[in-house]
Amino acid sequence: MFQIIADGLIIGSVISLGAIGLSLTLSIVRFSNFSHGELLGWGAYLALMASTALTTINARLGTPIAPFSFGWGLLAAAVVAAALTAVLALALDTILFKRLRQRGAITLVIASFGAALALRNLLLFWQGGVPQYFSQNLQIAIPLLPRSQWGGLRVTPDQVFVLVLTLATVTGLHLFLRYSTLGRSMRATAINPGLARVTGIDPERILRATWLIGGVLAAVAGVFAGITVQLRPTMGVDLLLPLFAAVILGGIGSIWGAVLGGLIVGLAESVSVNVVGAEYRSAAAFAVLVMILMVRPTGLFGEKH
Amino acid sequence: MSPAPSSIPALAIEALEAGYEPGLLIVRGASLQIQPGEIFAILGPNGAGKSSLVKAVAGLVPVSKGRIWLNGKDITRTPAHQMVFQGLAFVPQTDNVFVNLSVAENLELATAIVKANRRERVEPVYAMFPDLQRQRALLAGQLSGGQRQMLALARALIARPRLLILDEPSAGLSPKLVAQVFSKLREVRDSGVTVLLVEQNVKAALALADRAAVLVEGRERIVADCAELLGDERIAELYLGRHTGRQVVKANT
Repeated sequence: MFQIIADGLIIGSVISLGAIGLSLTLSIVRFSNFSHGELLGWGAYLALMASTALTTINARLGTPIAPFSFGWGLLAAAVVAAALTAVLALALDTILFKRLRQRGAITLVIASFGAALALRNLLLFWQGGVPQYFSQNLQIAIPLLPRSQWGGLRVTPDQVFVLVLTLATVTGLHLFLRYSTLGRSMRATAINPGLARVTGIDPERILRATWLIGGVLAAVAGVFAGITVQLRPTMGVDLLLPLFAAVILGGIGSIWGAVLGGLIVGLAESVSVNVVGAEYRSAAAFAVLVMILMVRPTGLFGEKH
Repeated sequence: MSPAPSSIPALAIEALEAGYEPGLLIVRGASLQIQPGEIFAILGPNGAGKSSLVKAVAGLVPVSKGRIWLNGKDITRTPAHQMVFQGLAFVPQTDNVFVNLSVAENLELATAIVKANRRERVEPVYAMFPDLQRQRALLAGQLSGGQRQMLALARALIARPRLLILDEPSAGLSPKLVAQVFSKLREVRDSGVTVLLVEQNVKAALALADRAAVLVEGRERIVADCAELLGDERIAELYLGRHTGRQVVKANT
């Protein structure tokens, strides 16, 4: 019982971080970016490359920091990957989406499908289809509850790390959006782009910030997915539908909505894996989505415009 | 050609053509001169292009021909988000506050954008609008129509504009609230700000403004002192419709 919840929260953390970026793009750039999932995949692989490079330069960076499975090298690599993924997101916008912005949301959505295909296959071409891992070290799960109580609960230190860092990232982002001028400008542009312009907010600057933040969060989510599961070139597309489910569930444009939506989708997947089988995982997430939308069509934290 | 420096108008519009789509003009050759320190009203029937004209000035509707000068400086191609730095503030008719931000956040954001000191800018505005200070923690979306209009006005004043443009500030307000908003506009003018407003409420606008223009089919047809326009049968019969016009004239004589 507790194990199912714990597993759900871990999957949910990854989905939440990805969903926040997607939600920001949806509310500020105003289209459904189907290539957002690929940014998670690219973030993870860029971190793997950077980590390999760093440990080649200095082998000590690969030594695991007890009790985790990874060393300082991966943490530094994650920062590098976050920066590179942010640049990738911005480049996608500059090369592709910016030129099509005047043509409307449908054109942008179709373009994002194309971008997703291109990004995914480039990754496959570059890295091959065999799953990879950040660390070959096996982690022993720590039993928090014995099997006799509620079926027991075991978590790895890596999973705790992912949960804590997700919480810290989301809190940081919340403070940024609430108190910084750029964050407030982003919220203002999301709700009323016309008024934002006459107030003196440069819309292009806000769009750039949105892509950068979305890219950073996607990379972090990708690295977390790599730490807790594995790296596959299709990890982006596999996470795409859960990301959308989380955004719609939480309400478009709401950070905490995306987080809660992500956790609910994660829990639904975890429950379904244990109850009806792993193949119905996505179906379970969408069943929850449909049920919640029937009661609250704007999502849990969504606002009517 | 720039207007002569000796009498620089606060705003000069010259043969302006503008519209949302190419080939579909809404403003068709309008020319106006707004003098510093006056309240100027743009009147006219529905669809005359009043809102589009002021939006074109604010950079929100694409200009295809003509020129706009703000205090003698050409702002025809200035993007909307830079107008506030040129001394022009615009208050849209609807959706003119950030409903997802608190009253204080609305004002603080406007202050931060122009990189001004928060206390220096927000405090005087609170002094002018005490209700807003009381409600500063409320979300702007929770304010009543009248308070929202006050916040929209306050938000625009934060940037200390030399020209304040308002698109139908009386829309949706009761006569009592219109009187309150207009009395604030007089205060704004008395503080040295030029005010340009678009109005459907002809009676209230003529009572407030110094001069007015009647716009028909995207061009000004009459520009005169409001005192003259109050008794002008031409407005009634030609531009505002016989019925409305008679009411206007009667109500003000």
